[in-house]
Amino acid sequence: MTESTTTERPAAVEVPAQDAATDTPDGVFLIHGLGGTQYDLGSMHKRLKNAGFVTHSLTLPGHGTRPEDLAGVTAEDWIGAVVAKYHEVRALHPRLHLMGMCMGSLLAAVLAQRERHTQGQLVLLAPPVYIDGWATPWYRGLRSLLYAIPGVGRTMKVEEEDPFGIKNEQLRAIVKAKFERGENFHYRWVPLECIRQVDRLRAILMQGAKEIRCRTLVVHAREDELTSLKSANFLVEAIGGGRARMVVLEDSYHMICVDNDREIVARSVLEFFGAAMPGATTALANEPKMSPEALAAAVTATIAKLGAGDLAGLRELAIPDLAWVQPGINRMSGAHSGKSFAAFAGKLVQGGAPRFTAFGTPVFNRGIALVPATLVAQRDGARLESQGALLLAFHGGKLLEVRWFADELEIEDAYFGAAPPEAPGTISLDAAFDAAVLASKTLRRAPDNDTLLALYSLYKQASVGDVAGERPGALDMVNRAKFDAWSQRKGMDRESAMQAYVDRVYQLVSSEAR
Amino acid sequence: MAQQLLIVVLVAAAYTAFGALSSLVAYAPTDAWTVWLASGVVLGLLLSLRRARWAAVLGGGFVGATAFAFNLGSAALEAVGYGAIEVLASGAAALLVSRLAALPLRFHAVRDLGALILAGAVPLALVGAVLAAAWQLAAGGTGFGTTLRVWFISNFIGTLLVAPVIISWAQFRVRRSGGMTMPAFTSGAVACALFLGTLWLLFSGSVAQRFGGSVGAALTYLPIVFMSLVAVLWGARGATLAGFVGALIAMVCTAQGNGPFAGVEGFLGEAQLEVEAYALAIALLGLLIAVLGAAQRQAAHVAREWQTRFEAAIGAHRLLAYEWDPASDRMLVTGDTLQLLGVAPERIAMLADWLALVAAVERDGVAARFDERVRGRGEADTLRYALRGSAGATQAATDEARAIRDHDGALHRIVGIVRVTAGPVESSA
Repeated sequence: MTESTTTERPAAVEVPAQDAATDTPDGVFLIHGLGGTQYDLGSMHKRLKNAGFVTHSLTLPGHGTRPEDLAGVTAEDWIGAVVAKYHEVRALHPRLHLMGMCMGSLLAAVLAQRERHTQGQLVLLAPPVYIDGWATPWYRGLRSLLYAIPGVGRTMKVEEEDPFGIKNEQLRAIVKAKFERGENFHYRWVPLECIRQVDRLRAILMQGAKEIRCRTLVVHAREDELTSLKSANFLVEAIGGGRARMVVLEDSYHMICVDNDREIVARSVLEFFGAAMPGATTALANEPKMSPEALAAAVTATIAKLGAGDLAGLRELAIPDLAWVQPGINRMSGAHSGKSFAAFAGKLVQGGAPRFTAFGTPVFNRGIALVPATLVAQRDGARLESQGALLLAFHGGKLLEVRWFADELEIEDAYFGAAPPEAPGTISLDAAFDAAVLASKTLRRAPDNDTLLALYSLYKQASVGDVAGERPGALDMVNRAKFDAWSQRKGMDRESAMQAYVDRVYQLVSSEAR
Repeated sequence: MAQQLLIVVLVAAAYTAFGALSSLVAYAPTDAWTVWLASGVVLGLLLSLRRARWAAVLGGGFVGATAFAFNLGSAALEAVGYGAIEVLASGAAALLVSRLAALPLRFHAVRDLGALILAGAVPLALVGAVLAAAWQLAAGGTGFGTTLRVWFISNFIGTLLVAPVIISWAQFRVRRSGGMTMPAFTSGAVACALFLGTLWLLFSGSVAQRFGGSVGAALTYLPIVFMSLVAVLWGARGATLAGFVGALIAMVCTAQGNGPFAGVEGFLGEAQLEVEAYALAIALLGLLIAVLGAAQRQAAHVAREWQTRFEAAIGAHRLLAYEWDPASDRMLVTGDTLQLLGVAPERIAMLADWLALVAAVERDGVAARFDERVRGRGEADTLRYALRGSAGATQAATDEARAIRDHDGALHRIVGIVRVTAGPVESSA
């Protein structure tokens, strides 16, 4: 019998200020399902950490080793383990949320009921209060008889089979391959005795569900093959509509945290916890959970970083998934968040170390601050001065998102230039060629005829090969000129033509950028 | 070793039990065993278990056959002889089946069923019949031909009624989810109840009194319909089990002088043989339907796995594959069009639907190039143009197509691969 517990801090953030009063982050206690591991919960750990929560988890007794180790483990053992972990971590946070998947949700609910949990909220993912899903076997009702036969509960194996609780065929193939490789992410089978313990757990919850006092979110798939929506309805009714609400998923089976609707599950949970999520609209919709003074201080700190051109330093003030939205059609344009934000910050420095200056007075609306500013940069004799406004979105003391609105986009497009094809060598020649082809269409000034013919001939040589067919007649001057240009490349190999094309396009893009 | 001994004991017990069951349908006046179910137990287990278990299974068969014969009044040596015949016949049959089909046997293909009948039941019955007749002749008995015939028929029928039940149920595993759905189970249960119910109605009394005239004989076709339904809904496990129980009902009732066959034949022994052939035909028909269904599901499973692998590969590279028939203008697009283009694949049924996704300024040029492709000789034609993305944004598409022609050079299809890349667009149309 094994049991291990884990606590993980938010990614790249020491102490996210989820609670304005104490500056201590909220915690989430996650409980996996029968025969499973934290894999059951998909990316929920990561999503919660990125949103600034501290996550706590445990490996339930009998799990994480061999299925045989589940024999002899009782529902009370599992309840005891989660109660012990709960007592261990609840004092660490002003709010501690409980969250469980499948059997883990039964345990989370029983824990909430027994501990009269009101310190945080409760999330129940696919709770199997009734084992009545559309793919449960026809002989499921006979298990009560088998429990009565000595020895059968320990020796009879209940196997995991197709569809493995997953509707997405690609994901199912991955899970199947994991099972075939013998990866220890989920037991291939569990003893029948364990199903008996789950049945006992279900009975305990059905008796005590009305005593759950915290706000509860039940997430359940309509097509859950193991347990029907009747389970979710039961819990919502028992806990009460005032405290409990339900999200019904339309494109998943039982394993909702890894199936098609996993993004909906993650967002529903984060919203339910009132978590910080990138996106100004979300920030506007949510309470900022910051005092006006804290918001003003956060804006001041952000402005200081932007004024110093220290974009990388912004991450110290932000959630790990900080998003920056840069307008225009240039090499800096786009939405950059998470890892791509670091790359963007580096690229921006190479673009003439831009910084913001001439900040105006911020205007506040809930967690949003709108700050007039000017973007300045200098590179190779070229100088940028672009006026506009910065939209800064905050939540729980952390910067969520920066959006720059330039008054005149053309100024920035001209300064930064179009995105060039990546330097040959860093990507394949084919990819560089494709990128150059795309870049050639973004040129602002039409090249002269000779350049156009050179590009045409190189393009055709690279994509088709040697010219073939008859030379167009003298009256068809355009096509004749094209044909002649292409003919001059005869014998040139494909790679050389592609390389020459890439170089030519890159020269044009670079000259425009200057 | 203890486990091997346990298997010997269990097989011997099962053999004895099925032997006793066979005596229920034995024709008492001639002491003829018209069906011998016990041989099916041994062969069924041999074809279901690993080779390492074969010795124990054959040992159990030997003990069971010897004990049964001894109990019937055979001398000790004679009883041992019957035990040895059981081992030789079953072992030889299992070895033959293993030459034709992979063991443990699964009813996933007609080949498996064919192997069971031709390499399993026939050799088992034949080898047993020859050895038994020879043994009886050597012991000074008479009636070599009669022994040969009765032994062959009773073993052949008995094996085919019992072995499939064991083979199909040996693969049964308790599962958390998956397999037969509850609606299929319930429907199958209704069909099974109708199958057994009609058999009981037909065979439990005098059909002449119950139905009058020749109606009773005509109604013997009715269970076949219900057995077909059971096989379709329940598969091999349900079909074999229902077939076995149904056969027992028909045979036991006939042995008691009831049912349509007993009513027609004056000599009950003939009726016994007829009802066994009838029951066997129903059981095998059910199994055949179940095997065909399983083969179809297996083929669909293989196709789905292939499709999953293909979609994973092209999806990872943001590729779409299409097939365009210029004669009908119909287009078939494969790939995640919903993700890449924001359109379900069935919405792109014609070339015009595809062209509607192309940027307006390039649409005519792309359409013209598709027309040119019809005149192509099969060489690759690469085209770059802008396609509407899932979020309404424009994205670049590199479309490489070829014409497929028949042996006469007539155009069959234009097939192409489109790579969709986000970003600014270059056109070669």
